Amino acid sequence: MTGLGVEAPLGHSVDELFTNLATGRSAIHVLPISLGQDLRRAIGATADFDGQNHFPPARLRMLDRVSQLALTAAARAVADAGVDFAAEQRNRCGVFVGTGMGGAQTTDDGYHTLYSEKSDRIKPYTVLASMTNAAAAWIGIDYALEGPNLTFSTACSSSAVAIGEAACRIRSGEVDVMLAGGAEAPLTRGVLCAWDAMRTLAAQDAKDPSASCRPFCRTRSGLVLGEGAAFVVLEDWEHAVRRNATIHAELCGYGLATDITHITRPTVEGQARAMRAALYSAGRHANDIDYVNAHGTATVQNDAVETAALKDTFGSRAFSIPVSSTKSMHGHLLGAAGALEFIISLAALQRGIVPPTMHLDTPDAACDLDYVPNRARTGIALRAVMSNSFAFGGTNATLVAAVAT
Amino acid sequence: MSTLETIQDILVTKFALDRTKLTPDAGLDTLGIDSLAVLEVLFEIEDRFGLKIKEDTPDSLATIQDVVLYIDSLLMKRQASESTVAPSMPE
Repeated sequence: MTGLGVEAPLGHSVDELFTNLATGRSAIHVLPISLGQDLRRAIGATADFDGQNHFPPARLRMLDRVSQLALTAAARAVADAGVDFAAEQRNRCGVFVGTGMGGAQTTDDGYHTLYSEKSDRIKPYTVLASMTNAAAAWIGIDYALEGPNLTFSTACSSSAVAIGEAACRIRSGEVDVMLAGGAEAPLTRGVLCAWDAMRTLAAQDAKDPSASCRPFCRTRSGLVLGEGAAFVVLEDWEHAVRRNATIHAELCGYGLATDITHITRPTVEGQARAMRAALYSAGRHANDIDYVNAHGTATVQNDAVETAALKDTFGSRAFSIPVSSTKSMHGHLLGAAGALEFIISLAALQRGIVPPTMHLDTPDAACDLDYVPNRARTGIALRAVMSNSFAFGGTNATLVAAVAT
Repeated sequence: MSTLETIQDILVTKFALDRTKLTPDAGLDTLGIDSLAVLEVLFEIEDRFGLKIKEDTPDSLATIQDVVLYIDSLLMKRQASESTVAPSMPE
């Protein structure tokens, strides 16, 4: 991996994001969006991002917020990698994007025009802005990437899958350079109400809304949605060495496994199989992993199941590996979560700092690992890190990265 | 405001284009106005002229002047239909 780029809650750069996470800052706040009849306000984690500062008005009309975020984060990853696509064989360069809900704001706006305003004046760009593959398409056009251009939509594991699949294409020798990551912009009234209807959203903390997401805590009550985008530039090792690129880390493992019992219910077996598959593909053992960025949604089910799956995978070592859920601070970015949290794991690897799980003050008997509660741990030599992304629909994905040697 | 001025005004206010570039012979493609953007311009024109454009937009619109002539033809059609309908209207 030679390039990293984010546009996320708590950071326009990996440095800014990681510094905020390491100091336990939360981006979660009350949104100016009502959840409906009882006038409850939604909470969420917004990216400090205004598309008007990044795109001319004529172009902005064609871009849903999800594509704006994606293009911005992708540009940062490309700049960080210092890759010049004009000097590459363009048909050997591609882009894979993960997104769960695509251009949700555009869809919401279209329905609002049609059903609330009772108008047929739906914006002509509605289809092009809302289609799930719009972000990938725009990135491909902007950088003239003529190789594979795919969008993965496996709910909350979408962008972990995008990164893992991109690595597979590079390993197969089919491509030289891939931009891979994810984007999500779900903070629209329609999307928030839909998630609320499923009873998965966290209750707002009455005293401190920013502390509403409490992974692995006995008082956890659900997830908090966030928005943003995160991209990595992946390239063949020899290719990176040849162009004297700075190599951030090696993506060495990717594991996929599917839960087949229910569309939302996670299983210990499914999650553990994904982690084992990632270790196997990395050629590493449980003893080699020094940090796990958990999926850690703060739902009652996930956190207990993931804890059991970690124990199933790592055995007694599970108790001595620091495991944290940074969703407590940046929220759940759904389709972008996997890419963002993988980048956070890489930042931890590079800096020897493990970010905390915030707002974890009441232990839960079902969650008994070392979750790095409320305070980052510094000065730790990390050799390899793991990032988990599990999803509705059952597609469990785990990525493993190691120090580049 | 003439039809040309109205279209220029829409392109300046809605698409943030430079007014000096919006000459009648300016190509829509060159200005970055694709066929979907033309539709957005037409929505705006419907509002400003109180028109309801039911027909499909002709593919031949290539310059600002083409759009001006198209809108003027629609306005003339409306005027003609109003004047033929008028006599049968109750006084």
